[in-house]
Amino acid sequence: MAGLLAFRPRSSWAAPFPQFFFAQVKYRGGDWDPNPDYVEAITEELELRTSIDGTKERRVTTLSDPDLFYCPFLYMAGKYDFDPFTPQERETLRRFLTYGGFLLAEDTVGAKGFGFDQAFRREMKQIFPKQELKKLANDHSVYQSFYIIGSIAGRLKVNPYLEGITIDQWTPVIYCQNDLSGAWERERSGKWVHECTPGGDHQRASAFKLGINIIIYSLTSDYKKDVIHHPFIKRRQSL
Amino acid sequence: MNWEQITFAPILPTSLIMVLFLLGTAAAIVQYALIRGRLGSSRALAVSILRWIALSFLIGLALNPSLVTRKEHTVTPAIAVLFDTSYSMGQPGSAAKISRLEEAKSLLLEGEKPLLQTLSQKYEVRLYGMGESLKAIEASQVASLQAEGHKGNLTQALKELDKSNSLAVLLSDGNWQWDGKPSVDFPVLTLPMGNLREYRDILIEEVKAPALAFRGREVTVDVTVKSYGYTGLVIPVLLKDGNKLLTAKNVRLPSSPGRVSTSLSFTPEEVGLKSFSLSVPVQAGENLTSNNLTHLSMKVARDKIRVLMVSGSPSMNYRFLRTALKADPSVDLLSFVILRTPSDIINVPINEQSLIPFPVETLFVKEMKNFDLLIFDNFRYLLYLSPHHLESIRDFVRGGGAFALIGGPSLQSEGSFAMTPISEILPIRFSEKDVYRRDTSTGVRFGRGGTVHPITRLVSEIKGDDTDPARFWRDMPSLDGINLVEAKSSATVLLESGEGLPWPILAVSGYGEGRSLALATDYSWKWYMGPVARGEGNLTYLKFVDRMVRWLTKDPGLEPIQITLPEGSGVTGQELEIRVKLQEEGLSPGPRSTISWSVFSPDGLKMESTLKPTGRPGEFLGSFVPPRGGVYKIKVETSSGMLEESVVVLGSVETLDAAPDHHQLKALSEATNGTFLSRSDDLLEEIDSYARRGEGRFIEEKRSPLWATPYVMVLVLGCLITEWYFRRRWGLV
Repeated sequence: MAGLLAFRPRSSWAAPFPQFFFAQVKYRGGDWDPNPDYVEAITEELELRTSIDGTKERRVTTLSDPDLFYCPFLYMAGKYDFDPFTPQERETLRRFLTYGGFLLAEDTVGAKGFGFDQAFRREMKQIFPKQELKKLANDHSVYQSFYIIGSIAGRLKVNPYLEGITIDQWTPVIYCQNDLSGAWERERSGKWVHECTPGGDHQRASAFKLGINIIIYSLTSDYKKDVIHHPFIKRRQSL
Repeated sequence: MNWEQITFAPILPTSLIMVLFLLGTAAAIVQYALIRGRLGSSRALAVSILRWIALSFLIGLALNPSLVTRKEHTVTPAIAVLFDTSYSMGQPGSAAKISRLEEAKSLLLEGEKPLLQTLSQKYEVRLYGMGESLKAIEASQVASLQAEGHKGNLTQALKELDKSNSLAVLLSDGNWQWDGKPSVDFPVLTLPMGNLREYRDILIEEVKAPALAFRGREVTVDVTVKSYGYTGLVIPVLLKDGNKLLTAKNVRLPSSPGRVSTSLSFTPEEVGLKSFSLSVPVQAGENLTSNNLTHLSMKVARDKIRVLMVSGSPSMNYRFLRTALKADPSVDLLSFVILRTPSDIINVPINEQSLIPFPVETLFVKEMKNFDLLIFDNFRYLLYLSPHHLESIRDFVRGGGAFALIGGPSLQSEGSFAMTPISEILPIRFSEKDVYRRDTSTGVRFGRGGTVHPITRLVSEIKGDDTDPARFWRDMPSLDGINLVEAKSSATVLLESGEGLPWPILAVSGYGEGRSLALATDYSWKWYMGPVARGEGNLTYLKFVDRMVRWLTKDPGLEPIQITLPEGSGVTGQELEIRVKLQEEGLSPGPRSTISWSVFSPDGLKMESTLKPTGRPGEFLGSFVPPRGGVYKIKVETSSGMLEESVVVLGSVETLDAAPDHHQLKALSEATNGTFLSRSDDLLEEIDSYARRGEGRFIEEKRSPLWATPYVMVLVLGCLITEWYFRRRWGLV
């Protein structure tokens, strides 16, 4: 109960916005918060491995919050079907994503075509009727933004790829069905909440690397597509 | 007088006159019949004849008889003598010891019997000097004529000549403009001056170059060299920027006279209105050396604004700045984001890392000059750059480059640029207490220069003229982190924090030839998302970044002063008009406008010029008359800045080619049915032969009406008085 109060959504934050933080979307119906303790571990890793000065604070927001537009990284997860967004919420999300916002969405249930997966695809279809969630190509910037990612995995290995909605050169929506946050979730005692199957700790490490790549992609866009990076990345891929 | 001199011009119809005459005759006969009984036949006949004669004369006056007298006159022919006084006539004549003009003068003024004197005695001689225009002169002025005018326009001169001339004599080298039409009804006799076979000169006749070039892209200039003499000589054609040789190419001069063309290619390195010179070395014996050099002006523009951005870490600031820069097709962005610092853990083999080296030496020393703008975005330089890199950046800005510093926590304490070469170029100063504040949000408001500066004066472009610019910035989303810095006294603060102490948020300044900007926050990205959240789109931020880039890189469209030069090159002696526009809002023309205008000659001397308001807000028209060819510098200063431009003025067209053109003289003579004379001809005889053809004769005809002569009246009255006398004597009255 105390935890829920701590993550109580606010219509407008009085405190300034840190440069990077997770802003998790709370929606109606379903389970909007399947892995409540994922932030600390991934933020720690982000700070240890990258130059990003992140905040271990998770902020909960709704699609009707006017401050949604100041959230650098919107996160949305779930297992089950959820209530349809209102037209106003859809318009807000469409506007946020079209003009440069970023959303990482996760189906944590571990099965395709059920519950959250169906509901999320339904909403994306409503918000971006002309775009589809498509499998991201192997050379997408998200796979090269920090690490050169070869294995796509989270707590589970449902899909060996990420999906996304791409507008011009920018992919504002990345969708994962491998439960990344499940792999990142850690108890205060330091014990991992979930086992990663089937790959164990190696798979967990991959989940962190992919998480870091997604965060860096959200902050650098297609930076790794700049010509200057090509020869280095190609050379390393051939090693 | 003979009867042939009498003419009639009846004032009544002839038939009526005949009727009147018959009636008069009949009356005389009737009278004779009536008085014959009283006076007898002889006396009655005498009286009746007298009456008939008087009546006949009176009726005969209706025939309006006139006495016509004719007198023949002879008119002295008028001869127009034209001295070509244009610049080329100052070149050596046939004898090479005196000029062509002196040679012309000697032909007319010297000798035992000077030709001009002889002509003046026989004919009406009208003298003209033909320089830039036709000018009538007195005989006494001929000796003092100088070759100084520009290339004459013969077409216009012929039109201005008096049509009553019988012929014209032109003493010239043929070096003038003519449309090939005769333009006059009288013959023109041409007397050639100068000798083409002895004329020696090398000149740059034609230059073809694009008016607009792009920095970093090769430009080709086509040059045509004309030569008189010097057949087979190999000479270089030199293309220079000031004293710096850009390129050169050798050409072999063809047989005389002839032309040879070549192309010179170079790559402009600096943006702006550039003046280049093309020259060929002066050779021994050249008649004219000023035409070995010419200038060309070319506007060198950026094909792309090359921006190097270094961000201290991935951030929203980087991403939205990148979005804005990538959205501008005129920007070529190379960005480096410090993804990890040396203290961060690398826990994967190299083949799993996408990180690339940060080539500081290449970027900040070797290639620095190839960028237009360097942006440091929350970049902690200490870990990567050494003092000589910072010096290189300072020199880059001093030499005309642009530098923007965007704030953030990385610029705190030892991360600040205090006491480094970068601090020299920045508009802000890092104090000892330099801190980055991220405790409370702050809005922004205009600083001292914000209302008029093009970076912050973007409101009307986005929202129209009705929007209050101050409110526009006050309503922008608050900033969640700012660097607490001080503005230098030389800086212009455009935006400052809206709450508490007015910390400068956006400040600009110039350094050397370059410009710098400091944006003391890493939260300007909220100016992207804020308007988006309000449903206004992202134009505000895109325009803001666009204006920052364009102002920093001295985009002419954002300059407070704009100078519009005339298209093409100026011409010596002709007034050049230059339009000056001041972009500052609220600045109107008039005595209160603080605008200073100067024109400097190619020697660097300030010269006479005028600047007048056009009547449109902030617009002025400057003008000056260039006395000679060369590059003239124009300098406009206002309270908000200074702008210099240069304009190329070509020398007199004639100075380019002063060779005699006797073919043109021949063509003129043929077109006007005149003669192309030579000095061996008997000039007087030739002129006489043409003058005689034009010698005018005419007959003056005088008509005197007979009725107006007293003789006729006396005759009529005499008849009537005599008749009356006899009638009285013979008792009829």
